[in-house]
Amino acid sequence: MLTQKELNKYLPLSETTFYAMLSLTQPMHGYAIMQNVDQVSQGFVHIGPGTIYGILSTLETQGLIRVDGEEERRKYYRLTEKGRQVLREQIRRLEVMAENGRQMIPALEADMK
Amino acid sequence: MNTKPIHRTKWFWGWQDDKEEAWLQEMARQGLHLKSPGLGSYTFTQGEPREMVYRLDFLNDAKNRASYLQLFQDAGWEHVGELSGWHYWRKARSGTENDEIFTDADSKIQKYRRLINYLLVTLPIYIPMYIVVINRKTGIIETIVLVAMLLILALYGFFFIKLQQRINQLKTQSLCSKEE
Repeated sequence: MLTQKELNKYLPLSETTFYAMLSLTQPMHGYAIMQNVDQVSQGFVHIGPGTIYGILSTLETQGLIRVDGEEERRKYYRLTEKGRQVLREQIRRLEVMAENGRQMIPALEADMK
Repeated sequence: MNTKPIHRTKWFWGWQDDKEEAWLQEMARQGLHLKSPGLGSYTFTQGEPREMVYRLDFLNDAKNRASYLQLFQDAGWEHVGELSGWHYWRKARSGTENDEIFTDADSKIQKYRRLINYLLVTLPIYIPMYIVVINRKTGIIETIVLVAMLLILALYGFFFIKLQQRINQLKTQSLCSKEE
């Protein structure tokens, strides 16, 4: 297990990196990740090929993902154990954020009146 | 239709890739479609005027070249050519977010960093020149080498400053708005 301090080095993930990593619980190649993110994020996040290429090489260097086979010139990537832990911690933080936000909704709406 | 290649001379510096893209798009509007890029000279084929998007990327990574090309082609981009690490991509303009290869400022910054690293790696090529200058007597050849070396170093310095300015500009952009 990574310590909190080690996890913090990688956090917070950008929205783009978050969705890219979320796709890699199963082996996937670059273009499939782009399509998956479009769909899963309900169109909120779109990643171009230059951007996904950069993200994948950074994540690979950081050891958060690894190459999991190559087929017809397409590289398949997958989360490493370290990547899983980082992603899990990010989700935990997002839950805290969402919960904090939710509690403030009445106050936000009261101000609007 | 005239299919004879048409040559145009034009010079762009490494930090002027936006201008180069805009120029190639303007050429396509006039029916001149890039066939191959060269150093300061471009070869076009004459065809129908079209609204195209040209995008330039810099990548000097022989190991991942095949998967890099495949990824862009999967996403609908046509690889027009390559010139000392610069990749020329194009597709028909759709007017949507699919017209961009970079969808955030971070990855654009990464591209210029790759270019800077590449330039840093090429610096030691001039080592023989430095040695000549260090062991300098006061001959005519040594003076010529010294002047040439200073010019090259000045050019490198200018290049780094310009690229760093471009990076800073992009950093400010990413603070102001997430999407460009």
